[in-house]
Amino acid sequence: MLLTIARRIGIFAATLVAASIITFLMLSILPGNAARVALGIEATEAQVAAQEQLMGLDRPLYVQFFDWFGHLLIGDFGTSTVSGQEIGPQIGDALAITGVLVISSVILALLFAIPMGILSAVRQNKADGVIISGISQIGISIPGFLFGILLVALFAVKLKWLPAGGWDDPGDDFVGFLEHLILPAIALGSVQGAVLSRYVRSSVLEVMREDFLRTARAKGLTPNRALMRHGLRNAAIPVMTVLGLQIASLLIGAVVIERVFAIPGLGSLLLDKVALRDLPSIQGIVMVLVALVLLLNLLIDIAYTIVDPRLRSAS
Amino acid sequence: MRSFTRRKSLAITATAMVASLALVGCSAADDSSDAAASTELVVGLLASPASLDYSTTGGAAIPQALLYNVYEGLVKIDNAGDIQPLLAESYTVSDDGLVYTFLLHEGVTFSNGSPFTAESVKFSLERVADNWTANGPSYLDPISSVDVVSDTEVTITLSAPSNSWLFNMAGPVGTMFSPDGIDDLATDPVGTGPYDVSEFTSGTSLELTERDDYWGEAPFMSDVTFNYYADATAQTNALLGGDIDLISALTAYQLIGQFESDDDFAVYEGTSTGETTMTLNNQSDAFSDVRVRQAVMYAVDRQAVLDTVNSGYGSLIGSMVPPTDPWFDDSLVDLYPYDPAKAEALLAEAGVSDLTVSMKLPNLPYAVDAGQVVKDQLSQVGITADVTTLEFPAVWLDEVFTNHDYDISIIAHTEPRDISAFAAPTYYAGYDNPEVMALFAEADASDEATFVELMKEASATMAEEAAADWLFLNPNVTAADADLTGVPLNAPTLSFDLTTIAR
Repeated sequence: MLLTIARRIGIFAATLVAASIITFLMLSILPGNAARVALGIEATEAQVAAQEQLMGLDRPLYVQFFDWFGHLLIGDFGTSTVSGQEIGPQIGDALAITGVLVISSVILALLFAIPMGILSAVRQNKADGVIISGISQIGISIPGFLFGILLVALFAVKLKWLPAGGWDDPGDDFVGFLEHLILPAIALGSVQGAVLSRYVRSSVLEVMREDFLRTARAKGLTPNRALMRHGLRNAAIPVMTVLGLQIASLLIGAVVIERVFAIPGLGSLLLDKVALRDLPSIQGIVMVLVALVLLLNLLIDIAYTIVDPRLRSAS
Repeated sequence: MRSFTRRKSLAITATAMVASLALVGCSAADDSSDAAASTELVVGLLASPASLDYSTTGGAAIPQALLYNVYEGLVKIDNAGDIQPLLAESYTVSDDGLVYTFLLHEGVTFSNGSPFTAESVKFSLERVADNWTANGPSYLDPISSVDVVSDTEVTITLSAPSNSWLFNMAGPVGTMFSPDGIDDLATDPVGTGPYDVSEFTSGTSLELTERDDYWGEAPFMSDVTFNYYADATAQTNALLGGDIDLISALTAYQLIGQFESDDDFAVYEGTSTGETTMTLNNQSDAFSDVRVRQAVMYAVDRQAVLDTVNSGYGSLIGSMVPPTDPWFDDSLVDLYPYDPAKAEALLAEAGVSDLTVSMKLPNLPYAVDAGQVVKDQLSQVGITADVTTLEFPAVWLDEVFTNHDYDISIIAHTEPRDISAFAAPTYYAGYDNPEVMALFAEADASDEATFVELMKEASATMAEEAAADWLFLNPNVTAADADLTGVPLNAPTLSFDLTTIAR
């Protein structure tokens, strides 16, 4: 058991280091000079050279890397070469926003997917079941950003019920916070909700054909009660796997949705920093994203063992 | 052509004023709860500042938000484009044009409480040469000495007379800093202006709060937020949805109609200094021959480009001079009328056939749109343009601007009075005419009348030699809530001056 944990932590750390080196190399190959980007088209080459020195870009690449890496080991993300701001707090603020957005969209997706998926499975050959299936098929087909733009056009521009974009801190204005959260959370969660409901549906359908469910019914339970007591727990396992993968993709999907809604989350921050070729900031953000995805996978593994006692005894 | 005469704008302003008067009438009858909210202003902009330090970061976004609002200099450019004293109460210039004496306002303080005196002037100007990398530190090269006469009097001596110097002093490089306020310029600017930065979220928003110890007349708006949007559609939606009150330098021209047809909004159309320029690489094999460049000039129907890209908003200029500069010459607008036959004749004369050129465009909507139209027009005269779209700014700056690896590119040059920088042989256009450079130098050192004449001559020569194709001048379009007044009509500098806006 201890060995397993140690191995997992080892893989975790090795993946992070590998990701950091890959990002660093990729960005150094990418055309574009942060000093020139910072100065724009009015500056002379001499001014750009001075700027490179100011930003520490004139040092060899490996020196820049180890300087950054060394600070990271003691929990210091460093300062942005471009804005001069501390990177750690910036990422923290942005992550809090993206986190709220992703979690809300997962909750919305689940609130949609579980009842709809079960309903369309139970009523698979009836009109309402088919309609629900159809809706989720449409949901899968419409990209989140397009759905977001449509939501803005209707609810912000036409009806003026909700803001078209931006963000409010819950501490400052909680109602404003919720108003700003609704549309992007729906836009981000829509595809996931649709995908999940398909998984819930097929998972429930599969479980419904299992022997143990027939046994439960033979014991005198109604079909619905049998499904509630014995079926859903079993149907949940494949759904959870998908959910875990989806949360990772939601983090990435948030990049686009944040752009559409002008939300200052991790995705917006990443895109801005890439445009500026702000290497230490990009590195920091990528590290956090990689760590989060790895962490999610770990949590999903642990969650399996809680839901399914069989996996517990096996390990 | 959709002209940017003042008439239309005035009509809109008048409508806005009537609307605002009506509103004042209403709010007088209402309870006062609206009054508190009405001194808050939210402005929607596109490009966001990468940092708040324009001494080491270029681009229009920082001066747009900070110049004249947070930072001030001895002089400023007013909305008509004229130089006015700001921190200087008045100034005099010696007859030989070498010695400027500035009398400073008394009782001016920086936002950190430190006093502004003649010593601050000396400190600020002397630190430019060693500490500024962005926004043209060389603009202050004419200065030979800064002498403190008293707390409120300072003389600046130039090594040679310069017409552009005082104009440039009204821009970022003339900003006054406090010696104890420069530790954290990137995030915490300390200036003498009416506003102080209260919060800056990189890439998203910048909040300014009115200073209660400002030396001059207090601005009407107490809290101003700049919200930055990734694209023009999001920006327009924000105004239509009521999230923001004003869009400055609106570029989604096809969306202007939405605001014009709605009584809740007013649209202002003024002048800017943004010349959308199709640069021809004068050093490339394709365009080193002046006749080939001139052929391109005849082959491009600039009015059609303007109509497609800007929905007709803007004006044709024919040179790198906006009509607001005294040396604008409107005869250059028609120097190269659309004439494909003449273009073909020039190409034949130059012995060029089946010319293929690389057109490298920044991935900005207007540049890509303009590139499409131009590519089509060039193909009519037998020039094939291979279009590549490059990430802006990073890759475009690298490939086109720094490495000059292109034949044609399109980009808006937004800086005021940037023609002499464009003519430098090392600049990315690679235009190399020592006589023109000499004209610019001579113009700068001349008296005012000669200055204008020589500038005219230089800009005409550049147009005649087709140094570039100045496609059109962008208008400065502002869309705002109809109840706002004092909205700056023109954009003669990079600053978005908040001090006149009221509700």
